[in-house]
Amino acid sequence: MFYLSELEHTLRVPPHLLNLPLEDAIKLVLQDLFLDKVLAKWKLGLCVSIYDIKSVEGGLVLPGDGAATYKVVFRVIVFRPFVGEVISAKFKESDANGLRLTLGFFEDIYVLVPHMPKPNRCEPDPYNRKQMRWVWMYGEPEEDFIIDDSCQIKFRVESISYPSVPTERSEDAKPFAPMVITGNLNDDGLGPVSWWESFDAITQEESTHS
Amino acid sequence: MKVVKENAGALTNFEVLDFLNSRGASKDTTRVIAPIARSEYKVYDYLVETAACTQTRESVNRFAEKCKDFKVAKAEILNIINLRPSSIVELTPILEDLDNREGEVDSNGILELVNDLLPPLPTTESHKKNDEEETENGEES
Repeated sequence: MFYLSELEHTLRVPPHLLNLPLEDAIKLVLQDLFLDKVLAKWKLGLCVSIYDIKSVEGGLVLPGDGAATYKVVFRVIVFRPFVGEVISAKFKESDANGLRLTLGFFEDIYVLVPHMPKPNRCEPDPYNRKQMRWVWMYGEPEEDFIIDDSCQIKFRVESISYPSVPTERSEDAKPFAPMVITGNLNDDGLGPVSWWESFDAITQEESTHS
Repeated sequence: MKVVKENAGALTNFEVLDFLNSRGASKDTTRVIAPIARSEYKVYDYLVETAACTQTRESVNRFAEKCKDFKVAKAEILNIINLRPSSIVELTPILEDLDNREGEVDSNGILELVNDLLPPLPTTESHKKNDEEETENGEES
């Protein structure tokens, strides 16, 4: 889920930061530059935190510039799930196209119709007129399992994509997401956590009886 | 910007939480004091809800060490530590293609190891405790 990545960057430390120890000043600049940003061009994922600074070189003042320029090698913590990883997330919204999940710090996780638990049906949400609700129909006799925001939802990472920045945007388009995770719920143990708590109890009962 | 090393090591949830803790992150409501950005606090808020909050460096290391005896991939070990599965049905989605590895992977053994070495998630009991504290403080929202 989280990785360290080592980066090198040439940056400008503005004069108002030079009263701080150099490392602290550079860290502040790095945080401004990288924190909470998706490093999409390199497909590195979302930069969560600056881990440490490995080396600082230079301190050059370029002609006509009042700031010092440093070449810094540093490590960052990035959020970059791998395909096949299971992550627990929270419910954000659901519509006819599927679900949207959130981790709090990352909200562009989508579960599309082909990755929903099968067999399923989609119906208008009685509690929220704007939303659609997904229901998994399972068991003999058939029982309804509703996907809602009552508990954590586990999903498996199906793919990660870094869409390119659109040149044109329609008025009602969703805000641009630089990194999108597609999730899968269609497997045993995936989906809302509460589904499987009772499942365990049942199997344990069965095993003790037999 | 130049990428020196794309992957300089994977981190478990615990390690990220530990890093944020070491920099002064806490559940305290007065969040201005610690030099931690808001986006970092969002990560922190997510992590304290996961199994990582009860783990220690020692338990994670010992678990990873012992796990090498089982034929599971590194990424799978990482995933197990992050999610702390307590039953078979929680473990199966983590292990890839388990049906074809039936004979190789001892899932019950892994579950036992999880039970022995990784502390359980804060249960409803501790939630209750939190609730009590919150009402006592009367400040937390």
